[in-house]
Amino acid sequence: MKLNSFYKSPIFLKSIFVVSIFAIFFISAITFKHINLLNDSSKRVKHSYDVNLELERLFSYLKDSETGQRGFLITKDSTFLVPYINAKKKIDRSFSIVKGYTKNDPVQEDNLRKLQFYINKRQNYLSIALHLSLKKPLNDPELKRKLLIGKKTMDSVRSQINYMIALEKKALKGRDKRYKDTIKVTPVFIYVTLLITLLLISISYIRINRDLEKMQLSNNRLKLMNESSSLAEIVGSFGSWQLNIARNEYSFSDNIYRLLGCEPQSFENGQNDFLKYVHPEDVALFDSLNTNDLENDTLPPFTYRVIRKDKQLRYFRTTGRIVTNRSGDTILIGTTSDVTDEVLASLSLEQQNIELEASNKELLAFNYVASHDLQEPLRKIQTFISRLSEKESDHLSDNGKEYIARIHASADRMRILIDDLLQYSRANKTEKVFEKVNLNDLLENAKFDLAQSIEEKEAIIKSDTLPTMTVIPFQIQQLFINLIGNSLKYSREKVKPKIKISYQKVTAADEELIPKNTKEKYCKITFEDNGIGFEQEYAEKIFILFNRLHNKNEYAGTGIGLAICKKIVENHRGYIFAEGKPNKGAIFTIYLSEDC
Amino acid sequence: MQKDYIHIILADDDEDDRQFFTEAFEELKINTRVNTFNDGVELMDYLNSPEAILPNVLFLDLNMPKKNGIECLHEIKRNEKFNDIAIAIFSTSSSEEHIEETFVNGANIYIKKPSDFATLKKVLSDVVTINWQYHTSGLNKDNFLLRI
Repeated sequence: MKLNSFYKSPIFLKSIFVVSIFAIFFISAITFKHINLLNDSSKRVKHSYDVNLELERLFSYLKDSETGQRGFLITKDSTFLVPYINAKKKIDRSFSIVKGYTKNDPVQEDNLRKLQFYINKRQNYLSIALHLSLKKPLNDPELKRKLLIGKKTMDSVRSQINYMIALEKKALKGRDKRYKDTIKVTPVFIYVTLLITLLLISISYIRINRDLEKMQLSNNRLKLMNESSSLAEIVGSFGSWQLNIARNEYSFSDNIYRLLGCEPQSFENGQNDFLKYVHPEDVALFDSLNTNDLENDTLPPFTYRVIRKDKQLRYFRTTGRIVTNRSGDTILIGTTSDVTDEVLASLSLEQQNIELEASNKELLAFNYVASHDLQEPLRKIQTFISRLSEKESDHLSDNGKEYIARIHASADRMRILIDDLLQYSRANKTEKVFEKVNLNDLLENAKFDLAQSIEEKEAIIKSDTLPTMTVIPFQIQQLFINLIGNSLKYSREKVKPKIKISYQKVTAADEELIPKNTKEKYCKITFEDNGIGFEQEYAEKIFILFNRLHNKNEYAGTGIGLAICKKIVENHRGYIFAEGKPNKGAIFTIYLSEDC
Repeated sequence: MQKDYIHIILADDDEDDRQFFTEAFEELKINTRVNTFNDGVELMDYLNSPEAILPNVLFLDLNMPKKNGIECLHEIKRNEKFNDIAIAIFSTSSSEEHIEETFVNGANIYIKKPSDFATLKKVLSDVVTINWQYHTSGLNKDNFLLRI
């Protein structure tokens, strides 16, 4: 595993390169050394031969002089003395040559000195014998003795020369052996090193080949990706760009040019050329950008207008991020997209929203003012009627009284309608002041408000202890009043109303009725009564404004009360549901979000 | 000058309301003297005139032309001369904003105009016979609005 990863790492090739270089150096050093050695060795061989040759020559000169002497001794002819005299000179010359050859060899120098001694002795005896032979006959014992010594000396010279030659040969042989040894090992060594180097180079060749293949592959992939990203840019109508911050160098993708309605790369990659297309009013946006103090290295998205080459106005959005590449350059990379459609859509949506909000506000104001201002004349009508029926009833016929009573009832009904409408529009009003209140207090207030009705109907209200919550107090109180009031109003004839208010803390996930997508906690409060109830099919209808299930002669009402309840609950991000069983009763369930 | 009647002033631009108001006091068996003014300007001109007889109770309609009830309330409360006048707001509206604003600005009681003459008589009789000193010392937002 480790080896494999080393093989794949870029260090591998580098180490092979270094190893190969060293091997080549090594081989050349060895070769150089061996050539030197060879050179040296051949010089030595020549030297040995020279020494031997010169020694042989020296010996032969000695023999020459001996032969000359012998000739003279026998013949007394002085012509025989010529070689003898010549030989003497030649011996001296030859000896000095040998001496020159053996200058650096102490053993041979020593031997040479011995040889010199013998040669000198021999020559001495030669000349002594020669002199003696002139005075005495050949068989003179003195001469004989001298000749014998000369012969012995000659033997010594021979043996000394032979010894020296043998010594030289031996040295040569030794050197030769050493040389041969070296010569024998070196090729093997070079061969092995060469083989290893070859192997390494082959491995690296394979490796390089494989890398090249890989590179080719990733090149192809890169090309494909480039193409697909450029296609994506065209389809998604966006372009990408890069800015080398240190060098202030921009590069734009082709599609940036296309977005501007230009031919790709048709102008220089620079901000100035790009800014020419930016709407003059939005150019300032670019001036305020400073690449040095980007938060989190992110260029926050910003939208601006451009005027394309064909004078079309488009909206662009640009965003970017700073990255540092391998070479240590800080580069701001980013995308610029044509968001004209989005911007136009959101603009029109915004416009619609504003209009809607305005019309909503107008409606509310209208609702409020209308119901408010309606009260004034109505109040007067009612007051005048009360004056009429009080003061003038004696002057009216029975029919007149009946009419007055009818007008009175109608006016009362109108008053209720207006009051309810006022309440409804108040529940709709946007300003909502949330306060932390004890719901039990609000319930008590509600009961107090309905005290008369509760007393009349002898209603029994049982309730759990309610929690303290953050709500709009007067609205929740209104909610309680409306729900309890509803139960009181729609009670069965001759049955005392019983209202049970229970409280439970629940989570959205546990409740069937409310959406599950939240993890919110809710306060679930149920109002259960034993009244006339209703068909379940009307359970949703009853919350709609002005929707009534009963004729107004049977039960007074405006059809606003439950609509107000729904509104209030929605203001508290809650839900309200109704469940009815005809002639058994109704259950109203409200869910109020705990953290509103 | 010893007064044996309660002096009452009403500022209201609505003629019908002024009529109901005076008629109600006429029918009540209380010794009162009722003056009415058609708007805030008339009222303030009178109150600020030297010969003015300051009322015991001043009924102020809120919605009046030229100078509305709130403005009158401001002016009256700024002037120490009027410290002894009990001010009752007398309005068609019973909106929270109006109740809050007049309470904060020092009105003594808030009356929603009743839609029944008998109720009107009862309300007015109750208001003029309140022991104002007692009412004002224990005044809070809950008893500010006169519940009928």
